[in-house]
Amino acid sequence: MNKYVLLRIEKLKKIYNNRLVLDIPSLAFEQGKIYAIVGPNGSGKTTLINILSLLDIPDNGKIFFQGKEIKNISKNDLLKIRRQITLVHQKPFLFQTTVYNNIAYGLKIRRTSYSEQEKRIKEVLKIVGLSGFEQRESNQLSGGEAQRVVIARALAIEPNILFLDEPTANIDKRYIDAVERIIKKINHELNNTVIFTTHDLSQAYRLADTIISLLDGRIIQHIPENIFKGKIIQENGLQWCKITEEIKFALVSKRRGYIYIYIAPSDIILSNNRFSSSTQNSFMGKVTKISEHNHLIRLAIDIGVELVSVVTRDSFLKMNINIGSTIWLTFKASAVKCF
Amino acid sequence: MERGFREAYSIGNLVERGNFLSFIFEGLQKAFQLIFSLNKEVFIIVLFSLKVSGIAIFLASLSGVPLGFLIGVKNFRWKKFTVILLNNALAIPTVVVGLIIYSFISRVGPLGYFGLLYTPTAVIIGQYFLATPIIIALTHSAIQGIDTKVRHTALTLGSTEIQAAWAVVKEGRYAIMSAIITGFGRIIAEVGAAMMLGGNIKGSTRTMTTAISLETSKGEFGFGIALGIILLLISLSINVFLSYIQSKKL
Repeated sequence: MNKYVLLRIEKLKKIYNNRLVLDIPSLAFEQGKIYAIVGPNGSGKTTLINILSLLDIPDNGKIFFQGKEIKNISKNDLLKIRRQITLVHQKPFLFQTTVYNNIAYGLKIRRTSYSEQEKRIKEVLKIVGLSGFEQRESNQLSGGEAQRVVIARALAIEPNILFLDEPTANIDKRYIDAVERIIKKINHELNNTVIFTTHDLSQAYRLADTIISLLDGRIIQHIPENIFKGKIIQENGLQWCKITEEIKFALVSKRRGYIYIYIAPSDIILSNNRFSSSTQNSFMGKVTKISEHNHLIRLAIDIGVELVSVVTRDSFLKMNINIGSTIWLTFKASAVKCF
Repeated sequence: MERGFREAYSIGNLVERGNFLSFIFEGLQKAFQLIFSLNKEVFIIVLFSLKVSGIAIFLASLSGVPLGFLIGVKNFRWKKFTVILLNNALAIPTVVVGLIIYSFISRVGPLGYFGLLYTPTAVIIGQYFLATPIIIALTHSAIQGIDTKVRHTALTLGSTEIQAAWAVVKEGRYAIMSAIITGFGRIIAEVGAAMMLGGNIKGSTRTMTTAISLETSKGEFGFGIALGIILLLISLSINVFLSYIQSKKL
């Protein structure tokens, strides 16, 4: 597989209402890979994807497409580049016409011949599992169908990079699996680069080769799970980070005031009973989610806030954990990193 | 005595009511006769009205739709003020529009030289100025609701700015059509401007509405009712068509 850098950004900055919403020193996307941009709401995911898909312009920084900087280039050249990428918005928007005409739109403006249009529309509808939907009116589609038509419409123009903003945020749970399968398929079969945003980390794990984690407009090295904002307080001669009224984590830090903290999922030890240890960080919680990734089991546990922990398949089976099980979580004060 | 007066009064009332009913009945009878016999005078007036309002609405659409579109998509300094002004223009009494245009095209006005007053052109000009603000305002609000979504979608699919603008217009087609129809509904039914600018000249500038007001004041109720029925039928079909278009989902 040809793995060359297709899209690259440098020193990118975006300011909204005097607030720096994006600040990214550098980021590169290779041909044929799937990237997930993850982060909580307001972390800058949509702004980043709008800039990458050339819908929005940064206040500072450079964007390179296939090694060529996109700046001061002719309208025609810009159009040529824009026609190699496409973005599927978070809320699917379909023109008020048939499914066929919706998908044909991108092809018509590229002056693709009618026979080719017909062929491609048939193909892409097959990919998204909606063969025979050509003559349906767009307002007669369900949310999941509309989302798939929007993806089909994007695929029909055979983009080099397909951007998807929260592809499954607005659709019924039943269709999430179908849309995820389509994303994989596009990448495998057509070797397209896919860049999508999501706030669902497990989705990022399932689909992406690389996960880009955003927090407050900056790229962070940690995957954005077990990240909390809290206030440093002193109590009982110890230092704590207070997350909510009930939850506080013991930590070691010279910082003061409000900080972000991160606990690596692998640093959290799980046990069926509380075991005596020197650490203050021992909590009881309920298992809310279980997923498997790379032979490790990821568990989301609700202790008042959600913490994620990873265990091996063996210990998972030995501990006999199910959704709703009550377990104990323990981690050292030194495992609580602040940034 | 008081009782006698009351009786007399109510008897008089009865007589009058009888007259009124028979007179409505006669009017209706005459109206249907005129309509079904395809009375030439009635139909000349109807066709003239349709022609004048048709031309006016065509011209108003040509300028109103693009202007409404531009106000919808462009951001400029006086945008809010312009929109308020436009919305106000929707409620301007037709006689005021008539008065303003009258002052321009009358013999002593700046455009008096062209001798437009009391010609069909004058009626068209009046109706044009009545319909245009409606079309601009309604096109603007139609475009404003869909602009960003449609434009972004078109751009992400590789359109140029012009192609994206066209996609917005196409997407707003039903709303734009109902803007035009609403404008037509207003001008075909207005009487003030047509009367002041056209002068209600028989065979030349007599529209349905000016004819109705004249014939009624002459006591020719049948003729007035005949035109009234046709006018009602026209506005009814406009409204049926309008609600059909609106049911196509905006």
